[in-house]
Amino acid sequence: MKLRLFYNSAVIATILSYLLIFIGGLVRVSGAGMGCPNWPKCGEGWIPPTNVDINQLNTTLAWIEFTNRMFGVVLGVSIIILNIIAIFYFRKNHTLLFYSILSLIFVVINGLLGGALVWFELNPYIKTAHMLFALVLVSILSYICIKSYKMLNPNIFQGLKNNIILSKSLIFLWILIVIEILLGTGLRTGIELIAIDNPLFSKSDQLDALPYYKYLHSILGFSLLFFSIYINYNLRNHPLLLARQLAYFITGMIVLQIFLGEMMIFFDLPQLTRLFHTWGSSWLVGIIIILYNCMKNE
Amino acid sequence: MNDLNKKLILSFLIVFFLGIVALFTLREATESKIRNLNVVSNVPSFELANFNGDIFTDNNLTDKITILSFVFTSCPDACPIMSENFSILQERFKDSDLIQFVSITVDPEYDSSDILEAFSEKYSNNNNWYFLRGDINYISTLSEKGFFLSASLLPAGHSTRFVLIDKKKNIRKYYEGTDDAAIMELQNDIVFLVNEKV
Repeated sequence: MKLRLFYNSAVIATILSYLLIFIGGLVRVSGAGMGCPNWPKCGEGWIPPTNVDINQLNTTLAWIEFTNRMFGVVLGVSIIILNIIAIFYFRKNHTLLFYSILSLIFVVINGLLGGALVWFELNPYIKTAHMLFALVLVSILSYICIKSYKMLNPNIFQGLKNNIILSKSLIFLWILIVIEILLGTGLRTGIELIAIDNPLFSKSDQLDALPYYKYLHSILGFSLLFFSIYINYNLRNHPLLLARQLAYFITGMIVLQIFLGEMMIFFDLPQLTRLFHTWGSSWLVGIIIILYNCMKNE
Repeated sequence: MNDLNKKLILSFLIVFFLGIVALFTLREATESKIRNLNVVSNVPSFELANFNGDIFTDNNLTDKITILSFVFTSCPDACPIMSENFSILQERFKDSDLIQFVSITVDPEYDSSDILEAFSEKYSNNNNWYFLRGDINYISTLSEKGFFLSASLLPAGHSTRFVLIDKKKNIRKYYEGTDDAAIMELQNDIVFLVNEKV
């Protein structure tokens, strides 16, 4: 009962954090990052104005950015609840307690990084850090989910044999995916810096002006596809249905990401594609963590 | 229908819903940016002299995107930052002959043509930045009545805001000339006006 409560609370926090990454991406692609020119307040008050603002604050952008902040608060509260449950019922289970506290630390840091982003007027490096910490946060939350799920359903995972090569491959895949995401955010940062100095560049001019590492992102993307197919192949007879499904999901998501990535090159970086490209990559990070842990026999 | 299929359909619906919400939000964001650049007013007719003696009137604004400011050369605080920001924008838009900059002195008594020329040499790297002077009362009225910018106790009481003027001599928006975020916004709005079909 207590464990189910903890598990449900972890799942809710994880879903909220993925939604928050989506909303954060929406803020970025819609250009609403400075919608609220200050932090933590938004304009004059704590809530942006609803009517046309005399100070020429764009209220639409302010509300987009404000939604992101409010959702961050909701996620923070859900993680606080997770921590309360962990402290009350799982003081002896150091893993659950430790990772719950860790997720709280990371959600606080990322909230502050969001504030720093506004203070430093969308500094591209802080943007990358904000995204990176969000990925770490979903990784921690995903880990808490699978860990408590396994405690909740021990029979499903009984008698699994550890496959060291596969486990190591998954760790390697996770690292490569994070590198790939960093390369992607690096490209984005590069484009933004180019756009600041050359405001009249078209989208294709901006892409052309990017240094050679733009190809690395595509090359690594295709390598990841083959790597995930290899993992799928090795998992084809795995006794756990969940593991096979997650592996399919990973390959499917990589295919989708490559497709979205190529679309961005050919159609001049459409906003919605950028949003789903970023969001999909964050899913990969969490799903690999879950797959790795559900194959592990403890 | 088994459990997995139900979950897949639910996930698809959620992602689809998020996509629709995102599309709507993105469209609203774009439209709000256009709304925020609505015409404020027409530029009044005026006639001033550039530092090189050329007459500069509101007709010089036709078919150009103009960023206009009120400054004075001996100003200690805001004006150097404002002029530095003009300089940065001038450099970034150097490839476009659509864009021009206008600085009107609010201290014509001290700011002689020679002083304005020296000031120009310090900040401007191109010949698309005009430093204008005229009668102090005329400039004060122009600032207050023509551009709706405060001009009490000139020169020190001049406004530090930049004015964005489109190709049809419409005032489109004001920006705090000493604020980096506002300058970035101005830069994006200039790009928008460059691409705007008139």
